[in-house]
Amino acid sequence: MSINSNTINRTGGNPAPSDKNKALAAKKAALKGVNGQKARKIRTSTTFNRPKTLKLARSPKYARKSVPHVPRLDQYKVLKTPLNTESAMKKIEENNTLVFIVDVKSNKRQIKDALKKMYDVTALKVNTLIRPDGNKKAYIKLTADVDALDVANKIGFI
Amino acid sequence: MAAPKAYELRTKNKAELTKQLEELKQELASLKVQKVAGGSAGKLTKISAVRKSIARVMTVITQTQRAQLRLFYQKKNFLPLDLRVKKTRAIRRRLTKHEASVKTVKQQKKDIHFPLRKYAVKA
Repeated sequence: MSINSNTINRTGGNPAPSDKNKALAAKKAALKGVNGQKARKIRTSTTFNRPKTLKLARSPKYARKSVPHVPRLDQYKVLKTPLNTESAMKKIEENNTLVFIVDVKSNKRQIKDALKKMYDVTALKVNTLIRPDGNKKAYIKLTADVDALDVANKIGFI
Repeated sequence: MAAPKAYELRTKNKAELTKQLEELKQELASLKVQKVAGGSAGKLTKISAVRKSIARVMTVITQTQRAQLRLFYQKKNFLPLDLRVKKTRAIRRRLTKHEASVKTVKQQKKDIHFPLRKYAVKA
């Protein structure tokens, strides 16, 4: 004869097993509420970082500019004119460099590329300065295998 | 090439025009070099002609480009901003002619039934 906890705990009223479950459920509802509880996240660090959200790419309804501009600083704009002053001629003969007036907005890399495109000459290095009258002067040293004097003759400003 | 005329340029297509533009720019570069090297007077006067030719070619290029774009955007809802009407900022923000003339039904009925009468005194 097994002692059933049911029989021991039964007080006046004598509830059946299913009723017991009902009673327990009612107790839980009374204590914890019926809405269900959210699981709390475990935070392992004291720092709170902004959570990553969706970042959409742009999909404009119309282009703001109808057509993108052609490149504004092309090779013809970079190199303005060569210089053939006395000191420039000295540079050509002695240091194998050409001296050009270039656009103020151009940088040494652009000057190198422009020279390559216009006259098919490779530059070894470029030094620039801005003259007091506002133009940029570029001293363009050529590689040893070309002669600056020949190139100057070919360009035509000797 | 004795300064291209604009109406002749308009018959060309874009590739030909860009090629001509390149040639003109090269000519300008060589003229500038000759100026430094003490060129003849004939060469120096040519510089301004070449500059204007370059301007002419660029004008034709952009004009045809924009005309084509306007055709392309004719059926669409939104134009790019540089193809829209420019006028002035204030004018662009005004009510359109249609928006300003719109009346409520109530007002329309009033206008029909109680128009402004004109009277004259008999001489």
